[in-house]
Amino acid sequence: MAALLTANSSDYSQKMVTAQTDAVADEAAWIRQAQRSDARAFEALYRLHVDKVYGLCLRMTGNVSEAEDCTQDAFIQAWNKLGKFRGDSAFATWLHRIAVNTVLGRIRKSKREQDRIQLVADTAPMPVATSDTGELRDLSDAVDRLPRGARHVFVLHAVYGYSHDEAANMLGIAAGTSKAQLHRARKLLSQQLKQQGFEA
Amino acid sequence: MTDVREDKLETAARRLATDISPDRDLWPGIAETIASPRRPRWTPMLAQAAAVVLLIGASSAVTYVAVKGQEGPVVQVAPELLFEQASFGSHNLGPGFQDARNMLAAEFDAELVRLAPEVRDDVEANLKIVRIAIVEISQALEEDPDNVLLQERLLRAYRDELSVLRRVGGLTRNVMMRNDI
Repeated sequence: MAALLTANSSDYSQKMVTAQTDAVADEAAWIRQAQRSDARAFEALYRLHVDKVYGLCLRMTGNVSEAEDCTQDAFIQAWNKLGKFRGDSAFATWLHRIAVNTVLGRIRKSKREQDRIQLVADTAPMPVATSDTGELRDLSDAVDRLPRGARHVFVLHAVYGYSHDEAANMLGIAAGTSKAQLHRARKLLSQQLKQQGFEA
Repeated sequence: MTDVREDKLETAARRLATDISPDRDLWPGIAETIASPRRPRWTPMLAQAAAVVLLIGASSAVTYVAVKGQEGPVVQVAPELLFEQASFGSHNLGPGFQDARNMLAAEFDAELVRLAPEVRDDVEANLKIVRIAIVEISQALEEDPDNVLLQERLLRAYRDELSVLRRVGGLTRNVMMRNDI
């Protein structure tokens, strides 16, 4: 029985490694095809990465409709710039960078962002991240209420795991500013969640 | 205690979902956009920039016509001083600007020979730098026509070029006035 379990476990691991290798190979092939203007290959890349890009846009904007627009814009930008992708970084990282730029660009264009966010907060339900439950949902909602700068740093660093240098580079700020914003975000979140008995 | 809570916060943050499916399929909107051939857009920024450049060119031409009564001596134009077609990415700035620029260029060529050799070398070197910048920025704009920073830099380069052309005319006129005195 133990041998069977070991064998099954080994098979499973092998299948996982094979599946991951296949996925990487598929992605590389899709990128090459999409760079030759193959829209079907680009759709495959979209299907592969949309959840991560949309998740990032949603976390950064805190608004479903903004996140949808940002996601579409990011993929359109990616299509237009695909010829410049040289594989120096992972495709997902490259896409994330474009998505962050898209979010920041839309914010810059909208001088009334604060008003809109307030309006959304007053009238619309908060975005739902389906796999966040219970206290994680509370944390997710609290992150949405953070000031913009602190929210962006917290999302990139604490949620998506980018280093301060990477997050700062994406956001066009100094690494020191990124650290300061993270500190601010942690304080604000801590205060907000303390009242809710957060015990994550 | 606060630090402990903040550490817990970061641990919890790592557990937040990073992959979130949108409520609706966003691909059709993307597919529609990327399927249509990319047309150069006449953005408001581009229109304003072109208008400013045209205005500078036109006013320079009027000044030239008012100040200059007759044609200057015919001067052989060195190949490196030939003008690039004035454009923003794939957008030409129009015959009005080009005509004004050509008039200034003719005046420039005529006035250039009156300058001292070392001054002339400086002017030509400066102009060459500006024109190389115009060509390089234009090429960059061909690839990224909506890049506002590039548009601004191209506009600034055109202004610099016109400024050099006009200043050369002014320099020689001043010299002439002093000789007259």
